[in-house]
Amino acid sequence: MHRAGAGLTPEFPSPIERLDSIDIITEEAAVQMPGAQTTRVTPLVQEGDLIAKGAAVACLRHAPDICLVAPIAGRVAQISVIPGRRLSEIVLFREDQGGIQRHGTVSSESPAALRRLMQAAGVWPWIRRRPFGGMPAPNEAPAAIVVMAADTRPYAPSPMQALEGREEAFARGLAALGQISRGPVFVCWPRGMPAMQLPTTIPDVRWISCGSRHPQASPGIRIHRDIPAGLDTPVWDMHAEDVAALGDLLETGELPMQRRIRISGAGLREGRSLRTHPGADLRQLTQHIVASGPHILMSGGHLDGRAARWLGQRHRQVTVLPRTAQQQRRHWLIHALTKSATLRPVIPTAALTQSFGAVLPAPALIRALGAGDSEAAMALGALSLLEDDVALADYVLGAGGEIMLQLRSLLDHIQAEYAG
Amino acid sequence: MKQGLWNRETVALMTFAALLPLGTFWLWFEGTDMLVRLFMTLLVIAVWQLIFMLARAQSPSFSCLVTALAIAMLAPEELGVFGLTFGISFGVVMGELVFGGWGRNVVNPATVALAFLGFGFPAAPWPVAEVPVAWAAIPAAILGTTLGVMPAALVMTTVLLGAVAASTGILAEPIVQAAGIVLVLLVADPVTSAATTLGRCLHGALYVALVTLFGLGWSGAAPFQIAVAAALLSSLAAPSFDELAMKLWVHHRRRRHGRT
Repeated sequence: MHRAGAGLTPEFPSPIERLDSIDIITEEAAVQMPGAQTTRVTPLVQEGDLIAKGAAVACLRHAPDICLVAPIAGRVAQISVIPGRRLSEIVLFREDQGGIQRHGTVSSESPAALRRLMQAAGVWPWIRRRPFGGMPAPNEAPAAIVVMAADTRPYAPSPMQALEGREEAFARGLAALGQISRGPVFVCWPRGMPAMQLPTTIPDVRWISCGSRHPQASPGIRIHRDIPAGLDTPVWDMHAEDVAALGDLLETGELPMQRRIRISGAGLREGRSLRTHPGADLRQLTQHIVASGPHILMSGGHLDGRAARWLGQRHRQVTVLPRTAQQQRRHWLIHALTKSATLRPVIPTAALTQSFGAVLPAPALIRALGAGDSEAAMALGALSLLEDDVALADYVLGAGGEIMLQLRSLLDHIQAEYAG
Repeated sequence: MKQGLWNRETVALMTFAALLPLGTFWLWFEGTDMLVRLFMTLLVIAVWQLIFMLARAQSPSFSCLVTALAIAMLAPEELGVFGLTFGISFGVVMGELVFGGWGRNVVNPATVALAFLGFGFPAAPWPVAEVPVAWAAIPAAILGTTLGVMPAALVMTTVLLGAVAASTGILAEPIVQAAGIVLVLLVADPVTSAATTLGRCLHGALYVALVTLFGLGWSGAAPFQIAVAAALLSSLAAPSFDELAMKLWVHHRRRRHGRT
């Protein structure tokens, strides 16, 4: 009980997993903005160009230092930009003769050079900032950086497993993050595991142990508990595997793209753990393991996933669900008896408190979100939270995504109002 | 997308399930006459829910089962059909439905209905709790707190302070029994009780304090009358307890982190 800590263990059906770890580089891949962000970009390549793995394919219009890079070597097949020069996706066809992009390694003494390297090599989209989410601004100095070496989402791949044998690279990455951060670097690791023996001691790294129940290792919940994000005190979070990749980049000048992911869900014949790259083609990854019948491919986990064709920039889970048939139109009286136009009120129960890891007064926060009361929500710590962190509460309450939408619109409102 | 089960209707049904031991013992000892009263209460509430569904598109809720059980168990006897219907209608409409249905109400509709009946028909005798029925409140409280639909902090504070008050002899035994039944039926309602841990402890403490005060000073009052009055007053104070607890929480976080 004490070891598992507060939280819940939601269960989802998924077939047994075959225990092999294979590396897959998909024949097609796409470069997208992280999350659901749409930002103005300047494409740096043209359709038909042959590009190296890790080469920049686009940069942000208002921050040209920040590049989006190709996860595989290949030929640019299509650049889709939606109105307003916002990037939809850049599709690449794999061609291995494209080679690999190398960057000059920087001396670890200069934070400015380190930032430039991280932005040019494509590490930046793997960082998420709070409040409001998305990539940080190019010269933003965070009040703290939280590195997630634990993941309690159902069917999430174990970050500790991904770090095995990469301790040196991880330590190098942590040291680099320590230079960028104004404050400490927190590392969240699963309780019960021995603390990692880092080859070098890094100042200002603090270890936080997380229980095994969700949302113990949800970044927003940890940030809310230990170092709340504020309007002028942004907090970044980064996955431990990406930190190890950053360490490799600093050593070799080449950013490793492969990451450990896990495919699960009721629409599969068997689960799979494998290593692939961001922007991988989900159809190819699931080709031989989906069950027959219509299904939905989702990038992300059971709680926070969204239907997608490509693996998201920060996602490490693929979820396949059977597509259920559209419901018949029912009689209006039945509809009125079972559904209301507005979201039904949330009843404060122990399940609601636990779905926020018992770190905050959950009923008050849910009420503030429902009423759109930005001041109360900010006082309760909504600035530390993003949609992923309330995904469990949304699921537990059966709100069907409504609470995530409420949080997003409230954050957008706060951003326009206070941080304009 | 799959969904979790803790929506409003499941919580209402779980609360009702937790109260089933109490309801079963009550029907067992009071006889089947009470079944008629229970169904009549349920019918009146259902009609009002239907009216509000058609007039204001408010979906009805299974919480009517809990409300009906509480009113049927605790309402004064010999009211007649008109009096009972009138009281239930007032409580359910003014206590719950005008606020937007169960989950948006600020006072428990059953508490409002019972208080209204108590003040409106002072001559009607209040029921007397049978001892086994009072004992059945214990499994109801255990079930409710285990399922998480009754606030555990409130129930535990009330039980602890109530035990202290009863053991020192300032609370008479019939009042303790009535207060226990009212605790699970009315006070430990997840919606109208306080929502923070500290607020819940204070809410429970105020309930025990009011029951003790009324038990000592309100001569001629029936045990259930005392407990219902204490439940009403303490639930009116619950939002201020929550406010206080939130202020303390925010203050504590400001001191610790410099921000919230």
